[in-house]
Amino acid sequence: MAQQKVDIAIEDAQGFKVLRPSGDLDVYTVGSLRDAIGSMIEEKTTAVVVDLDGVPFMDSSGLGALMGGVRRLREAGGDLAIACTREQHLKLFTITGFGDGVSIAPTVEEAAKGFKG
Amino acid sequence: MKLSLRRKITGGFALLLILVILLGWVTLSLFGSLRTIQRSIFDEAVPGVVAVDEIVRSYTAQSAAIRGYLIVNQERLLEQYRNEVRQAERWQEAAERLFTAERERDLLRRLIEAGESYQSLIDESVIPLATEGRRASAFQTLGGEGAGLISEIEFLGSELRAAQDEVVAETRSDLVTRSNQALAILLLVILGSLFVGSTVAVALPRRLVRNIQRLVDAARAIGRGDFNQQLQIRSGDEVEELARRFGEMQSGLKRLQQLALQDRELEIAASIQRNLLQRTLPTTPGITIVPTQRQANLVGGDWYDVDVADGALTVVVGDASGKGIGAALMATVVLSVLRAERGLGSGPRRVVERANDALREATDHDSFTTLVYLEIRPDGTARWLNMGHPPPFVLRGSIDIDDRRRGYFAEGPRNRALGWFEDPGYDDVRLQLQPGDRLVLFTDGFLEAKSPEGETFGEPRLADAMIELAQLDAASLGDELTAVVERYAAGKLDDDLTMLVVEYLGAPAQVAAEERLPGEEAWHSRR
Repeated sequence: MAQQKVDIAIEDAQGFKVLRPSGDLDVYTVGSLRDAIGSMIEEKTTAVVVDLDGVPFMDSSGLGALMGGVRRLREAGGDLAIACTREQHLKLFTITGFGDGVSIAPTVEEAAKGFKG
Repeated sequence: MKLSLRRKITGGFALLLILVILLGWVTLSLFGSLRTIQRSIFDEAVPGVVAVDEIVRSYTAQSAAIRGYLIVNQERLLEQYRNEVRQAERWQEAAERLFTAERERDLLRRLIEAGESYQSLIDESVIPLATEGRRASAFQTLGGEGAGLISEIEFLGSELRAAQDEVVAETRSDLVTRSNQALAILLLVILGSLFVGSTVAVALPRRLVRNIQRLVDAARAIGRGDFNQQLQIRSGDEVEELARRFGEMQSGLKRLQQLALQDRELEIAASIQRNLLQRTLPTTPGITIVPTQRQANLVGGDWYDVDVADGALTVVVGDASGKGIGAALMATVVLSVLRAERGLGSGPRRVVERANDALREATDHDSFTTLVYLEIRPDGTARWLNMGHPPPFVLRGSIDIDDRRRGYFAEGPRNRALGWFEDPGYDDVRLQLQPGDRLVLFTDGFLEAKSPEGETFGEPRLADAMIELAQLDAASLGDELTAVVERYAAGKLDDDLTMLVVEYLGAPAQVAAEERLPGEEAWHSRR
């Protein structure tokens, strides 16, 4: 039950920031993503794209953290979009209904186009 | 760093030792200079004065003896004169040894010359004149030339005495200066020793004791269960090393405590989850339900609930997101609402709606629950609400007439997970079961189980395994599928595996004839 960490790279893009986690997003590592989104909000960056290309596995905790991020960023007047090409995650989004109302696209640029507000 | 405490103590004592040696040296040199001064006064200056006095006295005595001899003409007085001459010679020799300074030696030389002149005057003029009987001439020579020489001798003697007095005075002032210097050095050395000594004896142990006291305090804090002590000791010695090791030990203990707490949390979560499980399932004629549940190392949020009401069987399989106590408590919330709402006679849609409201109220943004809410009527009519959950698997008792398949995932209208949206959607899926058909409800643990290589088990593998094991009876199917997934994950499962195999055996004839499919309205709000 070691506290693992997922590395999260942060990149500046035009008008938003990109979070690129690399590693599994699960119950062990999800705190890092939650913290990263939290610090985005503190820095008044409210438009965030999470690129899941470097995430081979994501469980319900990871999905929960993404949804929490969507809620918190929207409350702060921004939005969270997802860039993802991995079938497995897309399936999880479809099954749980997460994809309804959240911008999910294969590339960061396309995902960013779907920002609300 | 190594053994520097020993170095500090040894260094301190070495410094003290050096100061003590310095003190000894200063004292010795002080005594040495005192002795030199003593020698110059008592061995040179004073004997010098005595010798000069004796020389002068001796010549005066010679003069008195000769004068007496000239008056009374006694051999005894001449003998006394000769005796005094020897005395003068002895003292002159002594004085020559005692006087070293240039001016003194010069005065002494002149004194001796005057003495020699006086004696040769006596020996060569006065005594022969007296012997010849010319005593008046002898008196005259003695009173004239002789008295002159005697007063010169006296003058030189007083000069020499004055010179010696000067030497003594100089030596005295020298003594004062030297003793002052020695006193100052002694004072400095004593003060230095005191400073170094007190540093070694007081400051070093005090700092040591203070740092050790901090360590003791931190150890006490650990005893109280406080693992957050920040020990910053920068003494550069063994105590600093000890403090660093202490910090490492503290974080190790903290880690152990966290692990213990996590274990405790897992125990609590597991016990909550166990309490949620139904020990006995209600039975309904014509339908067999076999639950299988395997708890993961981490307690997941899986649960299920079976109920019979109005002749219909309700089967709910749910999965709360996350793991541990949080997930277990979320499962409790949903189950409580489901059971309470069903007790009020609410239909599936209302029950699920209420559960969604309760979750949105009770949990944070990050939590959600997926579930399949299934209702089967005795005639084989199955309807379910899929709230963000993996679709149930249909295993046909015989090859399906419509799509020629033995088994498939019953995709259909899909709604969103509970806890996120005000309206997650409540579209239902309908299916008419034939005798021998099975509906397998399961949680995502089956799909997300990872092989050691990191590949997930996934839907295709699960479908293949179900079809392959389809000939097993309902009681064994769940166990076997669980075993397959466990093998796939090499025993390392982070999520619960929960499966309910619902087998429709066929309706009792009279029920089958009477029962008809309820309308949409009845399904959504059956009160």
